[in-house]
Amino acid sequence: MIDPKEHTVVDCDWHYADTFTQIAPYMPEPWKTKYQKSGFGDTGVKQNLAAFFPASTGSRANYGKIQREFSEYPDGGDTKEDVVAGMDELDIDVSLQISHLILAMGGVTADDRRVESFVKGYLDYMLEEVLDPDEGIYGLAPMPYHDIDASMDVLDRVEDEEAITGVVFVTAGASPPLGNRKYDPIYERCEEMGYPVVYHTGGSGLDEYVRAGYQDMIETHTLGFLESNMSQIVSVASQGVPEKFPDLDIVFMESGVTYIPGLVSRLDEEYLKRSEEAPLLEKRPGEYITDFYFGTQPLEVSARPDLLELCFDMIGTDRLLYASDYPHWDFDSPSVITDLPMIDDEDRKDILGRNALEVFDL
Amino acid sequence: MSADGRVEVGPAAGFENGDAEIVQVGRVEVGVIKAGGEFYALRNECPHDGGPVCEGMVEPRLVGEWSGPGERVEQHYDDDQCIVSCPWHGWSFDVQTGEHIGDDGYVLPMYDVVVDDGVVYVNEG
Repeated sequence: MIDPKEHTVVDCDWHYADTFTQIAPYMPEPWKTKYQKSGFGDTGVKQNLAAFFPASTGSRANYGKIQREFSEYPDGGDTKEDVVAGMDELDIDVSLQISHLILAMGGVTADDRRVESFVKGYLDYMLEEVLDPDEGIYGLAPMPYHDIDASMDVLDRVEDEEAITGVVFVTAGASPPLGNRKYDPIYERCEEMGYPVVYHTGGSGLDEYVRAGYQDMIETHTLGFLESNMSQIVSVASQGVPEKFPDLDIVFMESGVTYIPGLVSRLDEEYLKRSEEAPLLEKRPGEYITDFYFGTQPLEVSARPDLLELCFDMIGTDRLLYASDYPHWDFDSPSVITDLPMIDDEDRKDILGRNALEVFDL
Repeated sequence: MSADGRVEVGPAAGFENGDAEIVQVGRVEVGVIKAGGEFYALRNECPHDGGPVCEGMVEPRLVGEWSGPGERVEQHYDDDQCIVSCPWHGWSFDVQTGEHIGDDGYVLPMYDVVVDDGVVYVNEG
């Protein structure tokens, strides 16, 4: 066992609990003015059935049970000081900030500029008020990937910013899925810039994510987060993104680890029966997938130890990245890694920080 | 099986490209396939589930070429590569090497084929 205080801990998924009120002054026009005149307030939602981003139901904070000392989650309104204090409490040396609000972007299907405007405003806000490499606070740039030109604008904006270490694709709602050639220009540019692509699952629209009628968040969160990542992993691997862009680092975040062996096994079985449908692949799709990086959270610590051990062995401890997901309701503290019985201390140090230092060139 | 350790398959003139003939070689079935004017002999037992792989479709391999970011992967049948696909589940093998087209860790055992005086034989080997 190791003490996280004595080792570098990089948290690859801290969610800055932002509010629209914080971001709107930084948004480009006309959405800056449209937002400020909307009355949508901090949360982007008005109780007259209007919202900036479509909202999903279910109480993230489990109807009042979840409380956070170092964040205004779930309503938002964090400050840099909240992040510094929370990192200190959790013994996190470096955090990669991902907007809390952007996770709902997948609900936007209109061909308008809401997502682009939010992302540009968010990045200017974060660069001005929160991100600070001297304090170990870095960020990932969300991609408004449905609009390639807008995504290129965002990459132009951040490419010389030391505090931005990669991009994030919210996997929920990405249609066509993210292996489609439409997204190639973003991948090509990220590969050139040395930016890892972090695919982060999301929750928007989960109540009807495949079919309508789920009762509660225990169902939609279990299935939706998993499906959103699985669908993109299958697309990215099968369509040959790793063959097209061999120097691109690919990271999948926030669905734990136990789904990987099942998905890899199923996809490989399909591939052996239908190889011509994945003509760019030089090996089984599962071999590409286990070369991806995976955020550990929410780690299934209650699973059978031999299952977790199998997952770690299949993915490789050199491919696992500690992620807290703080302040979200199901966050993991570094102890989920330091207390894992089936790995040794060198593996723990790799997962807690050393892998991420390398992937994100910190 | 002949006394010289080879199994007669039939007249070479009876084969068109893409034709296959199944013969017994020792204790196993072997498929003799004509592709690109050449004869190949492969074990007629799919390593996946034991299916009669050489009784499946023989055709050029469908390949894809990518010319750059944003471009569609263009697919075409490559006449230089011929595959045979097991009719049970579609596992496909290169008839020239016996290797599965998606994972060369799976290989159909190959046998020598000779054409002698217009007759095709498989060496029992």
